[in-house]
Parts: sequence; C-alpha cells; structure tokens
Amino acid sequence: MAQGEPMQVKLKIRRFNPETDKKRWWGHYQAEVEPTDRVLDALHYVKWHVDGTLAFRRSCAHGICGSDAMLINGRNQLACKVLIKEVGRKITVEPLLGLPVIKDLVVDMEPFFEQYRAVKPYLVNDDPPPATERRQSIEERERFDDTTKCILCAACTTSCPSFWARSDYLGPAAIVQAHRFIFDSRDQASQERLQILAESNGVWRCRNIYNCTEACPREIQVTQAVAEVKREMMRRRV
Amino acid sequence: MLRTRRVSYLEGLRYQGKESMLAWVLHRITGLGILFFVGTHVVAAFFLNAIGDNISKSVTLWYESTPFQIFIYFCVLYHAFNGLRLVVEDFYPPVLRYRRELLWLQWLIFLPVFGLPAFLMVLSLFSGSA
Repeated sequence: MAQGEPMQVKLKIRRFNPETDKKRWWGHYQAEVEPTDRVLDALHYVKWHVDGTLAFRRSCAHGICGSDAMLINGRNQLACKVLIKEVGRKITVEPLLGLPVIKDLVVDMEPFFEQYRAVKPYLVNDDPPPATERRQSIEERERFDDTTKCILCAACTTSCPSFWARSDYLGPAAIVQAHRFIFDSRDQASQERLQILAESNGVWRCRNIYNCTEACPREIQVTQAVAEVKREMMRRRV
Repeated sequence: MLRTRRVSYLEGLRYQGKESMLAWVLHRITGLGILFFVGTHVVAAFFLNAIGDNISKSVTLWYESTPFQIFIYFCVLYHAFNGLRLVVEDFYPPVLRYRRELLWLQWLIFLPVFGLPAFLMVLSLFSGSA
C-alpha cells in the first residue's frame, strides 16, 4: 500500500433500519480513500457519495469523545483512530455487540450508562469544602491516574464475554469508573462502591480475558484496574 | 433486573480476541472435558450397581482407553495451570502488565509436563503394553 496514493477499499457494513427491515443485512460498498485515511473517512465517503441513509455516530473524530466505537474487522475500535493501512482493503464494520441497535451502526447506550451510574461515578465527600482546594499528593493522584483516561466509548464493556453472557454484569467500564474514585484519597464512598461491586454482578464476573484491555482506545490497563478492585475487596474483607 | 444473554455464543466466537481470549475458551472446553469425565465415571458406577456390569464395563473400557486418558490428562493439567495463572494475576495485579509473558510461561511449563507423559502413554499403546 503506497502512502498518499488513492485506493479502492471494499466495505461490508451491517445495516438495519427498524422502520423497513425485519432482519439485519450486509451492505457492500466501495470507497476511494488513502492508506493514511481512517476508517471513519471511508464511512464518510459511503455516506456522502454512495448511500446517504447510512447511520453512524461520530463527534470529535479525533479519539477523544468516544462516540464512534464499533466492531471493525471483528474487534472493537474507534473508527476515527484506525487507519486504512492497518485494516487492509477489505473492511467489515458492525455495531457494538450486546447493545440494542437503533439504526445501522448506532446503538442504544442507555444500558451501558445505567451500569455506569450504578457505581456512583462522582466524588463523594461530605466534609465542608476548604478555602482553596482539596489537596492531594503526586503519589495519591498517581494511584488512579490510568483510570481517569476513560472516555466511556463502551469498547471495553461490549468486547467482554462476561458482559455478553449476563445482562446484569456491570462491565469493565463501570468498574474502571469505580476504580477511579475508590483509590481517590479525597473520596469517602469507596466502601459503598466496593459493596456494590462485590455483588454477584460485580467484579467477580471478570474472567481475566483481556478483550477489554486490548479494545481500550486510551490504552487503559482495564483488567489490571479490575484486579486492583478485587485485591482491595480482599484487603478490606468486603 | 431480568438476567438474559446479550450476545449469542456464535456471535461471540466471531470476536477477534487475542491469545488471552483463546486461553479462556480453552479453559471452558477443558472444564467441560473434566465434567464429562466425571460424568462417565458416575454413569459407569451407576450401571454397575443398578443394572448390571456389562454396560459398566464397556463405559469403563471406553474412558480408560489411552486416547481418552490423554485427553483428560490435557484437560486437567491445562485447567489447573491456567487457573493458577489467574490466581496469581488476581493476587498480584501489577503482573497483569506482563500478561503475554505470563501466558508464554504457562505454556513453557505446561508443554513438557503434559508432553512427556502423553508421549510415554502413546509409546506404551503402540508397544502393546497399555
């Protein structure tokens, strides 16, 4: 694949329109892109030049907002971060697994956000606020630095076989969010979060499969965060 | 919340997970293998007491055959080694940064421990002493 030269790629996209289709079907398209373009550019090409009815989410298009997570060539990835030269001339694109499809590549994220809200993903501190800020040492901040990077794209959760198997499993993204606050020295609700995660739908459903870590576009060590929460539970005997 | 399966087995297996996903799939298969072995053992014992020992003998003959013994040896050993790796990972989360190396280490220990006895079993089968 020569750099910078336009090329033809074949796209196979899983389509579904609830108003007209009874079943999901595969749409086959050709797009003219460059090897250094992203899969998102190929999807744009299809939508703008071939079939305007194609629906997919994207916002910032720079790997920050996490809205274009999808199953690309069998793996969860952000369409705006994957280059054409990394996936080749044949590209298969499907919506994220395990979430209800609204249309084409757009899924209903509400079940995912419901699990996210269950772990209280916000700072809980009932002490009166100090005059300046709640201070924290570099070491204390470092403890949960990795899990602050989460953009809630759902790539990790929807790549997890435990999430596929049980609709009530909180999933790696919710555990990552819980980790971010459990190890925050300023937070006062870590015990409560650990109790939520100790339920049968919590961290013990994790089987260390690492699909989540491989899928995370922010390279968060998701499985390690889950294991750290497990370890903390054992330490505190929750 | 009502508990249901979100993704079918077939759809899930289409996901292109890496070596850790294969390790997990193999862990499940070997677990089922062990369950199957225990099941045949129970069935053989049941037939021996309840019906008569002809069926019991044929079931026993079958699960004591060398190929099945090698299969069950693989299942038990793989399931144990993989389980130990998971225990180590859960107790010492920092090692998860070296998950690939851990997996290779597991196979490095597993292969000779499985391979040598399996080779001897095959050898004794062909020499007629099994």
